[in-house]
Amino acid sequence: MDLSLVLNTFTLLTLTTLSTPIIFPLLSDSLKNTPSTITNTVKASFLISLIPMTIHIHSGSESLITLWEWKFIMTFKIPISLKLDFYSLTFLPIALFVSWSILQFATWYMASDPHATKFFTYLLLFLIAMLTLIVANNLFVLFIGWEGVGVMSFLLISWWHGRAEANTAALQAILYNRVGDVGLILCLAWLAYTTNTWEIQQLNSPHQTPTLPLLGLILAATGKSAQFGLHPWLPAAMEGPTPVSALLHSSTMVVAGIFLLIRTHPLLSSNQTAMTTCLCLGALSTLFAATCALTQNDIKKIIAFSTSSQLGLMMVTIGLNLPQLAFLHISTHAFFKAMLFLCSGSIIHNLNGEQDIRKMGGLQKMLPTTTSCLTIGNLALMGTPFLAGFYSKDQIIECLNTSYLNSWALILTLLATSFTAVYTIRMTVLVQTGFTRIPPLTPMNENNPAITSPITRLALGSIMAGLLITSYITPTKTPPMTMPLSIKITALVITILGIIIALELSKLTQTLILTKQTPLYNFSTSLGYFNLLTHRLTTKTLLTGGQNIASHLVDLSWYKLLGPEGLANLQLTTTKTITTLHSGLIKAYLSSFALSLLIILMSAH
Amino acid sequence: FTASLLLGTTMTISSNHWVMAWAGLEINTLAILPMISKSHHPRAIEAATKYFLTQATASALLLFSSMINAWQTGQWDITQLTNPTSCLILTSAIAMKLGLVPFHFWFPEVLQGTSLTTGLLLSTLMKFPPITLLYMTSPSLNPTVLTFMAILSTALGGWMGLNQTQIRKILAFSSISHLGWMTIIISYNPKLTLLNFYLYALMTTATFLTLHSTKASKLSTLMTTWTKAPALNAALLLTLLSLAGLPPLTGFLPKWLIIQELTKQDMA
Repeated sequence: MDLSLVLNTFTLLTLTTLSTPIIFPLLSDSLKNTPSTITNTVKASFLISLIPMTIHIHSGSESLITLWEWKFIMTFKIPISLKLDFYSLTFLPIALFVSWSILQFATWYMASDPHATKFFTYLLLFLIAMLTLIVANNLFVLFIGWEGVGVMSFLLISWWHGRAEANTAALQAILYNRVGDVGLILCLAWLAYTTNTWEIQQLNSPHQTPTLPLLGLILAATGKSAQFGLHPWLPAAMEGPTPVSALLHSSTMVVAGIFLLIRTHPLLSSNQTAMTTCLCLGALSTLFAATCALTQNDIKKIIAFSTSSQLGLMMVTIGLNLPQLAFLHISTHAFFKAMLFLCSGSIIHNLNGEQDIRKMGGLQKMLPTTTSCLTIGNLALMGTPFLAGFYSKDQIIECLNTSYLNSWALILTLLATSFTAVYTIRMTVLVQTGFTRIPPLTPMNENNPAITSPITRLALGSIMAGLLITSYITPTKTPPMTMPLSIKITALVITILGIIIALELSKLTQTLILTKQTPLYNFSTSLGYFNLLTHRLTTKTLLTGGQNIASHLVDLSWYKLLGPEGLANLQLTTTKTITTLHSGLIKAYLSSFALSLLIILMSAH
Repeated sequence: FTASLLLGTTMTISSNHWVMAWAGLEINTLAILPMISKSHHPRAIEAATKYFLTQATASALLLFSSMINAWQTGQWDITQLTNPTSCLILTSAIAMKLGLVPFHFWFPEVLQGTSLTTGLLLSTLMKFPPITLLYMTSPSLNPTVLTFMAILSTALGGWMGLNQTQIRKILAFSSISHLGWMTIIISYNPKLTLLNFYLYALMTTATFLTLHSTKASKLSTLMTTWTKAPALNAALLLTLLSLAGLPPLTGFLPKWLIIQELTKQDMA
């Protein structure tokens, strides 16, 4: 049997299965969607997509499918082609698995919503756009997927559009993403200009690529993956329903930026400036997000900042010239982050909409399944040995420690790792343990399989995924094998240190002392003053500048100062001055005559 | 009095000897003085006084310049005025007579003090002899001084005219500016000066007579003339525009030719 044929067929089948819920309702009135049909479709797609992945793992076969060529100009062809290599074939099942679990969860979470079907359709559209991005061989198709996920993110964040904060958050998401898109378009333009192609496999430039298009790519990743500088939209995006946060802002959309950098890695690897930028930007994002997460009180915001921090870590990995490791981290991160979000969703719904961790506590006894999975997820996030996060995170930190690179980035990343431990433990302690602070009459029920099965499935994934993925792939770069003992266990030591500190600090909360507002605390709580500074300042400057140019400059200066009125004013001044000279006194006149005569005579001699 | 005016003008125009010219000018001055002060209004008397003083000074300067020339060259002929000093003095004398800047201060007030017809005579007829003298002596005059005075006249006439409400003062300033135009071309092409003068005289006569028939002496009075004589008002409009020098009208012609001549002289 021709394996490549099977590979191609099943991948295409996966993608078409996903698009059936979109197409069928258009064909006939009786084929309406329901949340459960969409869930089942995604489940079927997932199962189908396992086959190409298995084929790839078994034989290492990759393929390239070209569907159609858009002959825009004769010299520049844009083929619509799909690349099925290691990255896309591995990520496809992972994304579909996570999406299936999230959709199943959403059937319970959005059960009381009148437009639940529309919600599911949106999620499906998002998924299709995301998968287009993943399998794209062409930066053009990737851009289509890129824009698609941006738009769906906007629609989904503002799902409860009656809420003003949701609308502003959606606007923030679109705007920040747009700023990043500028970078991507810059790179596309440069590529079209110099290499006359947008294909990914033709991206290998023999000489050094100039820094500008690479900075464009990094800008695109900054926008999409919420690195420092274009990051405020990610915590604000928590205004959307929890399934949205779980799907978009933890596993799939936010990794699109990192994925772009992985795909265009051949271009990046030769330029040292770009690498250093990635490294430092990633380190800064990691630390910043971790610092902000320390004092958050909203459970979803803590998880959002943790996502942001992990994205920074992925960016650091790219800066270390290790795209495969970054991809590994993307895959493992998807599992436990989605699970964390689903657990938080279950907690929120069970507490009747309460998201503040200061009003939760002791949930271990009340929601056992959810909280155990929450614990597993948090441990995976911290990089506990042999859970999923360990395989990727520990390896990243080892490589960081043993490389000849920026020590500042190293210190920041290590600090961020310990902070990860701190805020994770804080969240766990405040949510699960201790005395409960919830209102007395809160009926909690997690017996619904729609809640428990997705969460447990993802928990299983969090535990096994790391092991499975690393066992079945051959790394393209040899990981560092030998290093001093202290470096080997750095990540572990730092995490344990963070745990101890957090536990000690949590003991402080037992005593009734009011927390003082120190500057550091303020910095962390107000998200580093970044939101406050940029949102008002930049817009106000731009708008007033625009107003000045548009109306003031034209109306006031051109018309008044220089144009008609200006001329009139000029004449007026002269006229008034001269009129005062004509006083009417004959003596003055005659004397001026004499003076002029003298002057004329003098000047001639 | 008009007869003596005409006598004086004719004498000056047709003279060959400086004393004759001077005499003609003096006759003109003396003849027009009673005409200015006909109405026995204090302003008229003041206008007459100012006029007399300036014109007397100017005539004296004229005589003085011709005497210097006679002393230096022995010539009393008008066209043979070659001594530079006397040319300069002559230029300033004629400027005083005409009303060129910087010797123009008397003109608006004098014109304001008289009635409209006398003002007409002042503007047109009284300008004729001095311009003739300039025409006759034009080859030997200093172009720099003339240009300087002419440019200042044109500019000042325009600026000052903006701030006036009395029509006679406005017409005075318009006269000053036209004189500027006339003077600037005299060293290069005197015929254009004459052309400008004739056309200017024509237009000003029309304006003055129209204003006289509607008895409008202030801008506010001018506003309501359309009710009294609408056709005449329209004609006045066209005449004023012609004075301004708007292209399809006659007033444009001298300006155009003068500018063309100046361009040929690299002075545009």
